Amino acid sequence: MTQAGPLGWLGWLETTTAATAMRQSLWLYPIVEILHIIGFVVLVGSAAMFDLRLLGRSRQLPVTGMERHLLTWARASVLLIVPTGGLMFVAHATEFAGNPAFRLKLVLLVAAALNAAAFHLRPFRRVAEWDQGARAPLAARCAAGISLALWAGVIACGRLLAYF
Amino acid sequence: MWTIAAAGLLVLAAGVAPVAAHHGWSSYDSTREITLTGTIKEAGYEHPHGHVRLEVPGKVWSVVLAPPTRMEHRGLPASKLRVGAKATVVGYPHRSTEDEMRAERITIDGATVELR
Repeated sequence: MTQAGPLGWLGWLETTTAATAMRQSLWLYPIVEILHIIGFVVLVGSAAMFDLRLLGRSRQLPVTGMERHLLTWARASVLLIVPTGGLMFVAHATEFAGNPAFRLKLVLLVAAALNAAAFHLRPFRRVAEWDQGARAPLAARCAAGISLALWAGVIACGRLLAYF
Repeated sequence: MWTIAAAGLLVLAAGVAPVAAHHGWSSYDSTREITLTGTIKEAGYEHPHGHVRLEVPGKVWSVVLAPPTRMEHRGLPASKLRVGAKATVVGYPHRSTEDEMRAERITIDGATVELR
């Protein structure tokens, strides 16, 4: 690191071996992009299917069973998404850091994580009462709706950051 | 806690003006085709788009090319995009960034490669 301050730090990230390889190796960048997409397809797909269950679809399926199956895969997919996202970020760190779509994407990501945490800490605690064949409580349905909207926003920002 | 976190994040998001340049075709004025012939001063065979600094009489242009994988596939490997080489590019000027253009095609050593 040669400069102080956040820009120096971002600039330094771009000089790392990983960043240089991402920019200059012929196939690394597209491969990383593909893995990132596969990862978030699993994450957002799982979250969306779980959210739709909370919103009242397929009420015969137990929420606890769906949570165990879907959200296990959703959590695992983060192991693919975060490193690949990080690699794309370091390749053009200063450009990304100033990109409004990228900043909004990070905000929405944190909001989605907080929303999921709030769901698990509150309505999901008492899931036994509405596990199967019953309407989920309002708090759970709100969390599901918010989750769908936030993840749609994250994907939109991820795509749109190439256009700002 | 929720509110404080959300407010903090919004401030973070709104903070800095955009510095990133959009290299998609829509950022360039396709009604104003220009042809430049000059010498490559800098070359970047890089993702997401290759680029050169092309010196023409009285000016140095930033020329945005295609993704390296496409250029390689179409017969423009990194070795041909070298500093000091003569190149002719046909393309369109950026709508807001002066001296930047996106090339539709590039000719180096008599060989023309389509970039779109």
